[in-house]
Amino acid sequence: MKMKSMKKVVGPEYNLSEKIKTNVYAVGVAMQESVYPHTMTVFYPRERKKMPDNYRGFILFDPDKCISCFNCSFVCPANAIRMKEAPSRRYYPTVDYGRCIFCHFCIDSCSGGALKATKIHDVAYKDMDEMFTPTEEMIELPEIIREDKKYVEYEIEEDDLHLKRTKGEDYLFVEVPPPIQIPMVSQCIDRASCIGCRVCEEMCESGAISSSAENGMLRMKIDTDKCTGCGLCVKECSMQILMLKLKKFE
Amino acid sequence: MVNTLMETVMSNQVSIPLIEPMLDLLPEIPVLQYMVAFMLWKPLFAVLICPGLTVGGITLLFFPWIERKLCGRAQWRVGPHEIVWWLGGVIQLLADTLRFLFQEVIVHKDAHRPYFLQFPFLSFMIFLLPLLFIPAGTIVAIQTPYAIQIILALVCLFPLFILGLGWASNSRFAYIGTVREAFMYFAYEIPFIIAAIAMIILYGTSDPLLMASRQSIPGIILNPVAALVFFIGAAMATSRMPFEIAESDQELCAGPHVEYSGIAFGLIYVLCYEKAYILSALMTILFLGGGSGPAIAGLGDLSGAFWFVVKTYLVLTTLFMLRAVYPRYRLDQGLKLGWSPMLVMALIGLAISLVVVAVRVI
Repeated sequence: MKMKSMKKVVGPEYNLSEKIKTNVYAVGVAMQESVYPHTMTVFYPRERKKMPDNYRGFILFDPDKCISCFNCSFVCPANAIRMKEAPSRRYYPTVDYGRCIFCHFCIDSCSGGALKATKIHDVAYKDMDEMFTPTEEMIELPEIIREDKKYVEYEIEEDDLHLKRTKGEDYLFVEVPPPIQIPMVSQCIDRASCIGCRVCEEMCESGAISSSAENGMLRMKIDTDKCTGCGLCVKECSMQILMLKLKKFE
Repeated sequence: MVNTLMETVMSNQVSIPLIEPMLDLLPEIPVLQYMVAFMLWKPLFAVLICPGLTVGGITLLFFPWIERKLCGRAQWRVGPHEIVWWLGGVIQLLADTLRFLFQEVIVHKDAHRPYFLQFPFLSFMIFLLPLLFIPAGTIVAIQTPYAIQIILALVCLFPLFILGLGWASNSRFAYIGTVREAFMYFAYEIPFIIAAIAMIILYGTSDPLLMASRQSIPGIILNPVAALVFFIGAAMATSRMPFEIAESDQELCAGPHVEYSGIAFGLIYVLCYEKAYILSALMTILFLGGGSGPAIAGLGDLSGAFWFVVKTYLVLTTLFMLRAVYPRYRLDQGLKLGWSPMLVMALIGLAISLVVVAVRVI
């Protein structure tokens, strides 16, 4: 049987002129880099990396635009958003940042454009309990001590990454145009199947659904002007006879 | 007696035309004129200001920072940054020194207590001695025709004190580091001294002042081989990065001074910078023409000192930049480099010197 021949790994051999050339090149590179380094470091508190406008950061909330549709809390994959009852008897979202994975599904699903994304990514908390953020703290931007005088951008030039520093502050809050709202309204599609459980009336936040007893029969009525199209009644209807439909303008 | 003393002092003054109008006002002030005259007396000026205490102190205070900053930038790091960040952390070493001053000096149980505590301070003083013989321009503390030999002898004394540090520490890391230091000492010392002797033969003198005057062409052009050997020898002697064999951080933590803490460690930390400063000064004298350079109007004697310091700092910076470029040698590689190529190159340098002298005679 033939033995496999062993090979010794040897480094490349250079002659004297090549050695001198490589040494001079190495020293030249060191000199060049020490004068004008291509360092990538961002000196964080004094300068910030410029984030893109669609950066997923701290979530802001505008209660005037909220229609309490619960969509954010339904869609949240980490169960970070809970709806809490406000003194005005309406339900508003609260975010537990201990759980939040910053996927911003809530913002995408918000039909009224009440939740807004910011570029804030450096919020600090003292303990886990403090990370639960009630609605009141989501309305205004959190207090930030801004030490930064410059913002930093990475640029690719000639297949090489470069750091570009610009004087000025990066705006942490981006004003995005509100989403195109499709006016929806709740409608009963099969009145005969209604069992009169009045769940929809209890659920409705805007008081658009009312009930009245006529001749021993319960009669439900949906006020299309008051209905915000939040779809809560559609989700909760035990007979599943309610449906969201496009609002017709007259 | 005061008059004779003043005569000796006044006969050997550092002349600086720029501050002469100020000095003319001084005779009206009783005590200050004697003090200023004494300060400007060349030997005392050399010890206290240049190249002695002030320039040496500035070197020790800022060159560790410059080294760390330059190497950091070359390696895409930042280097010291947070202390006085708008100046890039210049006073880093001052801050470190303050911390070291108030830190406890721990003497462990196995150490030889008296030597353990004495050696850092003793070696710091010994390391300063060669500065007495190094002239900055025309300013020198002790002028002898054997200055280079004396400086070389004192430089060769340095490793003894490092060995002492390691022995007094009585720890296994210090022991290995000390043995390595001793090995390296033999490897670099002989080529280093031969290179220096080559230059002494080339100039026909070992008086630094005469040497400077005989370098119409700088020695580095006359004998580049000896200059290279001397430079590598200096890098080995200061145990800078490519030859950081004795103090290798990876295996031995800090080699001979692994057990030290507090101000004793602070002193040892600046020892190698002190050594680098002295060897760069020696290199400036031997190969770069000492304090010779275009005279700057108004500075007088300080002009030579200025050029001397600038050249020394240039050599120091180059010595420190090696750290950013080359990886560390192993002990056997270092010994091989010292005993074979460097020794041969030193002998070639000696031959070049002899040829140059022969050509000059003919």
